[in-house]
Amino acid sequence: MKLNYRPILIKTFELVLLVLSFLIIFGPMTSLLLWSVAQKWYWPHPLPQEISFAYWKQALGIEKSLAIGAVSIIPAFFLSLGIAIVTVIIAMALAIPAGYALAKYKIPFGTFVMFLFLMPNAFPQQPIFVNVLQMFTRLGLAGTVPGVIIVHILVGLVFGVWITSATFRSIPPSMEEAARSVGATASLAFFRITLPLAAPGLLASSVFVFITSLDEFTGTFFVGLPFVQTLPLTLYSSSGYNMQFASVIALILLIPSILFMFLIQRVLKAEYVGGMG
Amino acid sequence: MLVSSSASRKGLNVPSYLFLLAPAVIFMLLMYAYPFLASIVRSFLDKSGAFSFENYLKTIDLYTKDIAFTFSVTLFNTACTAVLAILLAVYFRIRQNRITKILSAIYKLPLFIPFVVVAQMMNSFLAPHGLLNVALAQLGLIDLKQPLQLFNFAGLSFGFLWKQVPFAVLIMHGGFQMIDNSYIEAARSAGAGMGKVITRVLIPMNKSSILVSLVLVYSQIVGTFTLPYMLIGGKIPTTITVDIAHRVNYFRDFGVANALGVFSYLLVLLTAWYYLKTKLGETK
Repeated sequence: MKLNYRPILIKTFELVLLVLSFLIIFGPMTSLLLWSVAQKWYWPHPLPQEISFAYWKQALGIEKSLAIGAVSIIPAFFLSLGIAIVTVIIAMALAIPAGYALAKYKIPFGTFVMFLFLMPNAFPQQPIFVNVLQMFTRLGLAGTVPGVIIVHILVGLVFGVWITSATFRSIPPSMEEAARSVGATASLAFFRITLPLAAPGLLASSVFVFITSLDEFTGTFFVGLPFVQTLPLTLYSSSGYNMQFASVIALILLIPSILFMFLIQRVLKAEYVGGMG
Repeated sequence: MLVSSSASRKGLNVPSYLFLLAPAVIFMLLMYAYPFLASIVRSFLDKSGAFSFENYLKTIDLYTKDIAFTFSVTLFNTACTAVLAILLAVYFRIRQNRITKILSAIYKLPLFIPFVVVAQMMNSFLAPHGLLNVALAQLGLIDLKQPLQLFNFAGLSFGFLWKQVPFAVLIMHGGFQMIDNSYIEAARSAGAGMGKVITRVLIPMNKSSILVSLVLVYSQIVGTFTLPYMLIGGKIPTTITVDIAHRVNYFRDFGVANALGVFSYLLVLLTAWYYLKTKLGETK
């Protein structure tokens, strides 16, 4: 009897692919993890010679030692958190009405509005930040927290509008019409019927804007430097001389992103995720 | 469609959607459209504010190599992403077992990792004495006295592919899932081998999501600042985005920075046109 090698070949190939994928995806992450606990790591040692959580403790403000040259990230963390919260509130206050209008009304200049909200995805955004910096320098907003918040709103608003308008579009107009037909005013129908139905999508979009703000680098780099040190900028400025400290911050920035992935995997369209960071 | 009755009842002619849209649109006009147009206009102005090609002459003189580098990094990585992502997405479509389940789960991971973290990760992983070189030396593949130098085209590409292939797979995968099994079965029963099924049925039927994902990957690579900045920095050749940052931070030279910006717009002109055309068509 002739043996059929094909299934064995395919299985072998699949296993090789699995191992390779694991190495490629988790290799760089392992490097980050090792560096964050490496007290002493001189090459050509494959692994750190001495492991400790000194840099973690230092970064989280549990311990204070001048020997390892790291500072606390607590102020940067609260700054990033504060900026993200304000960004979400303002961006969503702008995005929810706009998303609703785009979903529910026939707008004569609708194509233009859509175009405006698609442009940032189609073209590089860095020249925008350069010119915003010039504008903000004149207005005295460069290097200030409000200036950085405005840039974060700009980055988040596009996604906010797209996700909210998709959410509102998925709610059948008949629900609101039914409420109107039994005498509810337009605003009552919106607040009692449409808004609760849209809540999960609006929440997802808020979380998305929040994470985008937390991870935002390029805009903050141009508009916020040197006075606004958010977490990503602290990571950048320490990556040159203090590998351990930079790795700790990178891992701390990873946590909200990974949590977010489990939280809104289903609601989210792949396209939005690409614009992150 | 709702009729804006509340506004007309009061005898006003302003439709209510204007009030809903105005704040977001005004914000976008001020903070996006204005700086966008300004970047183009200012690239043609010299320091005194007069019209000139000075910035472009300087850009061509200093940065032709970097523009070519950006373009080649982008093309190379978009092509690699296309091949790898199509293969993986097709594989996830036609095989469903325990391995594909694990694989499709771990492939989502890089998607959610911000570029600044990816940059730091690659910075330590790809370093001359970083984990990759040390691991390869342990396997006896390289000599640590001559480690692989990866803070260049190669390392940058590794970082981009690490982040962009999963992204493209996710979009393509959605498209492949929509193709009904009956098409595959019909082709197979007509005598087509699996290879033919993939090239003649699956890929052509999923053309639009493949193209959109690659267009997005392409324009993201052109516009990414963090990864090249932290991996290559000021070394030559580097990317347009890094040059813009240097021009602004070290020289306060906004003219050349804007001219470089216009070059990056030109690099994405085709893909931007395709993206806007498809997206505007979808929403109509």
